[in-house]
Amino acid sequence: MIFLITVLLILLLMVGAAIYAIVQKDLLFAVIASGVISLILSILFLILQAPDVALTEAAIGVALTTIIFIITIRNTVRYEDERNKKKKQKNVKKLAK
Amino acid sequence: MEYIIYFALSIMAVALVFVAIRFIKGPTTGDRVIALDTLTTLGVSGIVLASYLFHRFIYLDVALVYGVLGFIGVIVIARYLEGAL
Repeated sequence: MIFLITVLLILLLMVGAAIYAIVQKDLLFAVIASGVISLILSILFLILQAPDVALTEAAIGVALTTIIFIITIRNTVRYEDERNKKKKQKNVKKLAK
Repeated sequence: MEYIIYFALSIMAVALVFVAIRFIKGPTTGDRVIALDTLTTLGVSGIVLASYLFHRFIYLDVALVYGVLGFIGVIVIARYLEGAL
């Protein structure tokens, strides 16, 4: 019984983290939320009795995805609206000239 | 002996609720990173409990890999926040 309740809580947290990762404008928070999703997905693979898949998901989801996404954020912008704002400012300056 | 495992699972469920509240509410980035780290620790303990509950010792390998790799992501995010990556 308590096992089912724990699994249900984990599933709810996974859905919440997925919605959070989509809605959030700060991309760093979205990356952290995707890490939570990957962790819970790994535990779910384990409960479904596939430990090899869980092992691969743990190695790729936690380490590789987070590092690649963080390097991408470092090289581009952190906030989702930032690039559009810069474009708008450039357009305003062009119009002012 | 089974009752101890179920007791530990219930404590883990309560801790999970508090971590989820901190993850959703947390105003700064540091709170959310700490929530991710605590969630990784909870996940490792949950995997070990599941290993005992299902009598499958191969599950312990997954917990080992998670314990080794789980902190690399947190380190990378911390280095990014520091501005040194």
